[in-house]
Amino acid sequence: MRASYVLKRLLQIIPTFIAVLILVFLLVRLLPGDPASAILGDRATPEIVARKKRELGLDQPLVVQFWIFVQHLVRGDLGESTSLKVPVLRLVGERLPVTLFLSVYASILGVVMAVPLAILAAVRRNTWVDGVIRGLFQIGLSLPVFYVALQLLTLLGAKLQWFPIGGYGDSFGDRLYHLFLPALTLGFNLAAILVRTLRNSILEVLTAEYVEFARSKGLRTRVVLSRHVLRNALISTITLLGLNIGALIGGAVITESVFAIPGVGRLMIDAIFGRDYPVIQGLTLVFAVLVSLVFLMTDLVHARLDPRVEHA
Amino acid sequence: MKRLVRTTLALGAALVLSQSLAVERGGTLVYGRYADSLFLDPVLNDANLDIWILTNLYDTLLQPSANGKGVQPGLASSYTVSSDNKSMKLTLRSGIKFADGSPITAADVKWSLDRARKPDNGDWSGSLASIDNITTSGNTVTLNLKRPDPTLAAALATFNSAIMSQKLFNAAAGKNDAEKAKAFAEKPIGSGPFVLSEWKKGSYMVIKRNPYYWKKGEDGKALPYLDAVRFEIIPDDNTRILKLQAGEIQGAEFIPLARVNELKANPKINMALFPSTQVNFITMNNRPKLKDGSTNPLSDVRVRQALNYATNKDALIQIVTYGVGKPMNSFMSSTTPLFDTSQKGFPYNLDKAKALMAAAGYKNGFEVTSMATSGSANDLAQLTALQQMWAQIGVKLKIEQLDAATKTARYRANDFQMRTGGWTNDINDPSQITTYFAIYATVESLHTGFKSAEIEKLFEQSQSETSRVKRASIYRRIQTLYHEAAPIVYLYETPYPVALAKNVKGFVQIPLGNNIFAATYLDK
Repeated sequence: MRASYVLKRLLQIIPTFIAVLILVFLLVRLLPGDPASAILGDRATPEIVARKKRELGLDQPLVVQFWIFVQHLVRGDLGESTSLKVPVLRLVGERLPVTLFLSVYASILGVVMAVPLAILAAVRRNTWVDGVIRGLFQIGLSLPVFYVALQLLTLLGAKLQWFPIGGYGDSFGDRLYHLFLPALTLGFNLAAILVRTLRNSILEVLTAEYVEFARSKGLRTRVVLSRHVLRNALISTITLLGLNIGALIGGAVITESVFAIPGVGRLMIDAIFGRDYPVIQGLTLVFAVLVSLVFLMTDLVHARLDPRVEHA
Repeated sequence: MKRLVRTTLALGAALVLSQSLAVERGGTLVYGRYADSLFLDPVLNDANLDIWILTNLYDTLLQPSANGKGVQPGLASSYTVSSDNKSMKLTLRSGIKFADGSPITAADVKWSLDRARKPDNGDWSGSLASIDNITTSGNTVTLNLKRPDPTLAAALATFNSAIMSQKLFNAAAGKNDAEKAKAFAEKPIGSGPFVLSEWKKGSYMVIKRNPYYWKKGEDGKALPYLDAVRFEIIPDDNTRILKLQAGEIQGAEFIPLARVNELKANPKINMALFPSTQVNFITMNNRPKLKDGSTNPLSDVRVRQALNYATNKDALIQIVTYGVGKPMNSFMSSTTPLFDTSQKGFPYNLDKAKALMAAAGYKNGFEVTSMATSGSANDLAQLTALQQMWAQIGVKLKIEQLDAATKTARYRANDFQMRTGGWTNDINDPSQITTYFAIYATVESLHTGFKSAEIEKLFEQSQSETSRVKRASIYRRIQTLYHEAAPIVYLYETPYPVALAKNVKGFVQIPLGNNIFAATYLDK
């Protein structure tokens, strides 16, 4: 892989950030309702609201507000939460690791569920095995995340008491244990997306000429699968995973609320309802960086596994 | 027979006594909250999430009584009002200390109240506006007033009048008071029964026993009984309940009313319904024209009364609150001091409603829109029930679902016809709710645009009338006048539903909403 390719892809991210920045800044201000009113509720008198607006700098023209925001940003300061009165960077620093842990955990569980089942479904295509696997994940795809979460909580948490209900643990092992149910919820959702696409791409590979050729050489199915099919399946899995990082974060928002996990998903929801502009802006920026990095990594891994990509 | 009664009474008394002596000390109570506190400064905060927890960390000179009707001594053991009602003298208890062991002085009291009443400091400064200046001498504090103020005792029992340590506050990091307040509120030290020991925002908060707390428990030793309270933040209602059922937490607040009966039937759970000051109502835009210039049928008092009469409150209470509410008969809750028990509200009367509609010239009804908070099951249940009730008098109700911030913005701009609303008092006095509901200058009477010269005059009188009897008669008249004008649709009062593990004793949520853990203990 050439360094110039990596550099080119990195530079492409910068305009994306600037666009995201401007868009989010304007979008949150287009929402009806302002932070002062959201914090104070519907009882506050106009004078109190006006004072709060002044305190938060919301009485300034938009251009001035944006300029202040950019100035702070350059200094690495994402501003201060209007409702919690603490720096946004600190909030993100406290909560992002939790969401990242959950997302990686969910991705691993999702892949672990999806890949073998997709292969099985492909190999046994159009049999009852294929039908059951596809049916199961079709249901998974149509069930809302919060519903799956609640069912898992009720059954495995409350009834059987195998797992704790909510919370996220202190040590690494404790965290794996606490976050198992939420990761399973998200992982199941992810697996549902992966299985269908993976099954189809494996089928494609299985009927490809080089596989036919490999088979005609007398290689056993297992060898064909692990050497040829799996490698290709992996490429599409990683690409799909990368593309679904947004969905994963979206799912985390709901999952974090149901399982009482203090991650950035819940922070975002609270910020939107509270019209906490600095938190919404800061988090969106962080999400943009994350998604861009994941896309970049996906591309790089893809290029590594399939050298044709780099030249395209 | 007499003897039997006497024996029974004696036995009963013995039972009560033995029970009261059996308080258990120690342990940590884990309590599930639906959202975390935001900012733990008693003066500069804005939200119930803070207010309802603050009294555990900070103490006030006086305290609201558990039934919500009056005040009781706090850091001050007694207070006297001068004969001309122009000053109040408070005597501090001897030997009282902050949670770090440093003494609470009259100077701390003066400094705290001066900070709390500074007009630029917070939204509650108005509650102490009658104070002209504060003087101290030994362990007495004298509040010299600009005018007699019957609400002052209640104001001194409200969170914003909490006593803080001037020395500790000044020692906090920061260049100015605003910065110091932020730093101090991260790890506040007050003189309440508990002191903050750990706080991971959005996740949990631990408050531990303040060893210097002045109030004694039933066993003669200092309160609180518990070693600590751990608040877990669990936003999802179902998860909070599941965690309680699984024994992972021992208390859960804001139980959806739909689940109350189910939890009442659970032998392991004590489903408590604490009396609250919460009233639920629909505000109406009373102005002749709406924001878009169209004529507003709700400006006619007969129409507003008709809608009130066409509202079947008992049915609403069954449908929306699953039977746990009670009809709202005054704009203030029945737990508010000076609530007038003779208020009859609007009993369901369809004939009267129809007659009023015809008299107002709306025999065939009209169409009206109400804003609702999207995602609120209560709002939706309430409005769909009203849709059917009001259809009987020809009124076609349309529901517009908006998120809370948008709803508030539209409301503030007076750009609405109706909206769902709820209210809880923050202070043990009827003046607060009256200012907001009936006084135009505050927030245009909850943005209804309602204005009554007579109510405004009576209210002004009530603010300096120190005779409780005379004040009660003024408030009776205000409640009657408000009822006749019907600027809102009266619905129902609801309690605070808190589910507790069976072994949790002595926890109270007072009608103002404050969670009181001082005398809570875990029965082993």
